[in-house]
Amino acid sequence: MDDVTGLLWRILAGPLCAAVVIVLICRRSPFYADFSPVMERTAGPVIAIAFLLGSTVFAWLALDAVKAGNVMTSPTYRFLDVGDLEVNVNWSLDRLSVMMAMIVCVVSLCIFVYSVGYMHGDPGINRFFAKLSFFVFSMLGIVFSGNLVMMFVFWELVGVSSYLLIGYWYQRPAAAEAGKKAFIVNRIGDFGFLLGILLVWNVTGSVDFSDIRNYLKVHSHEIGGGVLTIAALLIFCGAVGKSAQLPLHVWLPDAMEGPTPVSALIHAATMVAAGVYMLCRVSFLVFASPAAMDVIAWIGGLTALLSAVIACQQNDIKRILAYSTLSQLGYMVMAVGLSVPQVNGYMPAMFHLSTHAFFKALLFLSAGSVIIGFHHGEQDIWKMGGLWKKMPITTACFTVGLLALTGFPGLSGFFSKETILGLAHERNDDLFVLAAVTAGFTSFYMFRLLFVAFLGQPRSEAAGKVKESPWVVLGPLIVLAILSVIGGYTWMGIPGWLVGEKGLSEVPAGGNVLALAMLAFVMGLALAFAFYYGEPAEDPIKTKFPLLHTILWHKFGFDEFYLALVKYVQGGLAALCDLVDRWVIAGLGVRGTAAVAQTLGKMLQLFQTGNLQTYAFLFAAGLVIILYYVVMQ
Amino acid sequence: MNLSLLKLEIATAGLAMLVLMLDVFTRRDDKRFLGAISAAGLTAILAWSFWGGMVEGAGFHGMWINDALALFFKRLFLIATILVTVMSVGFAGKIESGVGEFFALILFACTGMMLTASVSDFVMLFVALELVTVSFYILTSFLRRQVASLEAGVKYLILGALSSAFLVYGITFIYGATNTTSFAGLAEFLSAKGATGLVLLGVLLVLAGLGFKVASVPFQIWVPDVYQGAPSPVTAFLAVGSKAAGFALLLRLLYGGLLPMKATWVALIAVLAAVTILYGNLAAIPQKNIKRLLGYSSISHAGFLLLGVAAATAFGTGAVLFYLFAYVFTTLGAFLVIVCLAHATADDEIASYAGLARRSPLLAAAMTVALVSLAGVPPMAGFFAKFLVLSAVIGQQLWWLAAVGAVGVVASLYYYLGVVKAMYWQEPRDEGAIAVSLPMKATLWCVMGATLLIGVYQGPFVAWAFDVAGRFMK
Repeated sequence: MDDVTGLLWRILAGPLCAAVVIVLICRRSPFYADFSPVMERTAGPVIAIAFLLGSTVFAWLALDAVKAGNVMTSPTYRFLDVGDLEVNVNWSLDRLSVMMAMIVCVVSLCIFVYSVGYMHGDPGINRFFAKLSFFVFSMLGIVFSGNLVMMFVFWELVGVSSYLLIGYWYQRPAAAEAGKKAFIVNRIGDFGFLLGILLVWNVTGSVDFSDIRNYLKVHSHEIGGGVLTIAALLIFCGAVGKSAQLPLHVWLPDAMEGPTPVSALIHAATMVAAGVYMLCRVSFLVFASPAAMDVIAWIGGLTALLSAVIACQQNDIKRILAYSTLSQLGYMVMAVGLSVPQVNGYMPAMFHLSTHAFFKALLFLSAGSVIIGFHHGEQDIWKMGGLWKKMPITTACFTVGLLALTGFPGLSGFFSKETILGLAHERNDDLFVLAAVTAGFTSFYMFRLLFVAFLGQPRSEAAGKVKESPWVVLGPLIVLAILSVIGGYTWMGIPGWLVGEKGLSEVPAGGNVLALAMLAFVMGLALAFAFYYGEPAEDPIKTKFPLLHTILWHKFGFDEFYLALVKYVQGGLAALCDLVDRWVIAGLGVRGTAAVAQTLGKMLQLFQTGNLQTYAFLFAAGLVIILYYVVMQ
Repeated sequence: MNLSLLKLEIATAGLAMLVLMLDVFTRRDDKRFLGAISAAGLTAILAWSFWGGMVEGAGFHGMWINDALALFFKRLFLIATILVTVMSVGFAGKIESGVGEFFALILFACTGMMLTASVSDFVMLFVALELVTVSFYILTSFLRRQVASLEAGVKYLILGALSSAFLVYGITFIYGATNTTSFAGLAEFLSAKGATGLVLLGVLLVLAGLGFKVASVPFQIWVPDVYQGAPSPVTAFLAVGSKAAGFALLLRLLYGGLLPMKATWVALIAVLAAVTILYGNLAAIPQKNIKRLLGYSSISHAGFLLLGVAAATAFGTGAVLFYLFAYVFTTLGAFLVIVCLAHATADDEIASYAGLARRSPLLAAAMTVALVSLAGVPPMAGFFAKFLVLSAVIGQQLWWLAAVGAVGVVASLYYYLGVVKAMYWQEPRDEGAIAVSLPMKATLWCVMGATLLIGVYQGPFVAWAFDVAGRFMK
């Protein structure tokens, strides 16, 4: 048992140590003047990868330990104890967290190695790896948190590291803006999350996951259903922010301003999945309220469809993938909302989360490899074309990722998506249709991307000159491609692992579901083929359906709507507040109070004459007043 | 006579004697060495208190009691004295003669403070208190050639003597009426016959004497002048040690002897706490000298501590203990910076702190941590201390008192952050980095770390304070 606790500390400590060590020693210093160039260029990545490798090994060992049945009852340290609120430092180490940790570690490891190639020659490479390591630490913190407060703390740390990494190229205004946007939008969700934590604490008297679970087991009927629904939905707000669900999805596409490895790690594979992970972690709470589950399922489904539609008319290679991420996250959230607690629980959502982590990281890294080919100069797919000849390995890897994403039979995405579709088919017909249509759009926009950017002839001069990326970039791609292929098979055991001892109940993904999914896939492929295979110079949809193009190009106007909201409503309120602040608060309140305080202070100073006799007199006078006060009482 | 009850005090007094003797054999330039010896000795005594140096029990015909509370305070005083001694080593260059005596007097004062923690009799109370006070009379005026220091010493001597006079006068009344000097005897008398005229008068006079120690209104008038004039380490010691000793005695007296008249003293202390908070914080606003500012700040903290006393619950007492513990590190952090700057800026004016961040980032950071913690901003230790005393008061439904506390906190932000603003956003008067010696640097880091640690990971400290308070109140 102690063994497991030790493992857990080691998993967490790895990336944190890496971040600290890099910040402390990887710089020019008189202590090791001769090594300064090494320290400034090479040491950071090496340290980060070495520590992460350690964490991955320990995560693997933890996997074995949990398999052997060592679910941890770790020693807890009291962190906060005020009145009724007691917060401990405790961890949850079970099948769910260990698997998530394993995914985080493996994907991060691939991305760390890849970053060595991608960030080659960047002057801030040490800073980059320090931030990346810190992110992995925070993410693992979320994964292992044993109570809501700790999860919230790490949740915010993840938010901060994401902010830092999106704005890594802080010299670019767009990157700095995107970092800010991501942070602020996430704050809105986090506010709900915090309220949810308070409400849960208020109702159940604890913030500890196992305590809440036990409490709900016994008392869930005593609590009004409304309260539980509100609590679950407030907590869900946090997931809406972090996993970029409607209506807070606007930050994720902008976050693509960060370096591509960051997009792959944080904004595709791990951090955005934290919202889904959190819902699975508190599934006992979510499952206690059917009404909340309905809302969650619908928000997920709508996000999936809407983002897939928007992705059809984006031209930036990373933005297309970003909208695709939104859409897949929508699937996962929907799966949480549709879960059947008694059967497979949250398995479908987590299953898709795992496979998605592999193939979406793969897609992003392939896109990054293309961007390296263009010397970080071009991301518009209409200026690419013909890459398959120049970058065969990248193209092959990208295609594997694409097929996995679109649910081509035999690849990992197929299995996980089928599970979700089967679940939807069983639980809610409307959502099933929605999900199937989304699958069609997914296939359409992904093949559009493939046809325009990778196949055909080069569309620009630069596209003719690209070269295949170095092996340090291709290696991780190949590893991830293999994982994307095999990740879904039963012998990999992800779904079975998640369900645990209960044993997996087959989701009846009957012939109908499979046929409809295949139909959607083929329709999407056929449409994409019809529109884009003949190497059109520009998007035919733009010329033939200008209105549709405009709507999609503006992403249904969410950004504009929010901007207007901020400008007119918030701006108006702000102007009003400014008036009140200026005249009432500052004038009367602050300056008035300050003047009173200053005057009182100066008056009190008058007692302080410096004269000893006066002091002695005041002393005695004070005593007399006290005597009078007490005796008269 | 069970002398083993006095082991820690005897060791401390012995250490003081040792320092005095070694002083004779030390060359003039090596006097700092004595400070190192006394710091090391105190550390050893502190360690001893964990392994066998402390024997629980009562003795000396009920004059002396060694319990959890006593142990808490003794350790607190030892820690404070260690830090003050380290600080004095850094300050020793400013003392023209008698460095050895300086360290010895600090140790004697510490012995007195440790005595106060175990007091359960009025005679013992007087002896312990006078040992502290007499040591401080000398320490305050130790810079004999500086008029300010002399003036501070004289003021402290005369007003201190006045307060002692009131105290002894009160004790005679109590003895005259009750025929006993023990706290327990007083409690017995009070519960049998109630607080009649003479006893009440005596009690109030004794409380006035203690009010002088803790710097509560209306006995606070000496604080600004003495704090400003005294040598900086002495001011720090006054602010931390002398005040904590006052609170140790106050808790001992209120719960040991005055429990039957609880309603009376709760009402009195609540009012005094409110007035003290308002006075300290408002009068601090126009101050221009950092030591004087900290003097007023020390008055306001006395007010906050009295809030916990006024709550009169185990929670309130626990809050007071935690507050004192946090206050030691926070206040000494601020004074460490003042001492480090003593050579660079002699006048202690806030204006001299302008642009400090550029001249010495460490000092500016340490001062900021200390001030922000004093102001009660999370996640510093001071925040949690204030939080606890305020919730203790709210727990007793003394809403108006909590409101006064909140007003005090807001006002205090103004003058504390004024100093921070000067350090970070104003142009320095003169450029040039300020050198800080390695031991001082290490101490600064320790104190800063402690202030943050107690604030962030307060669980064990709160548990400790509440455990002590719970056992004391039982």
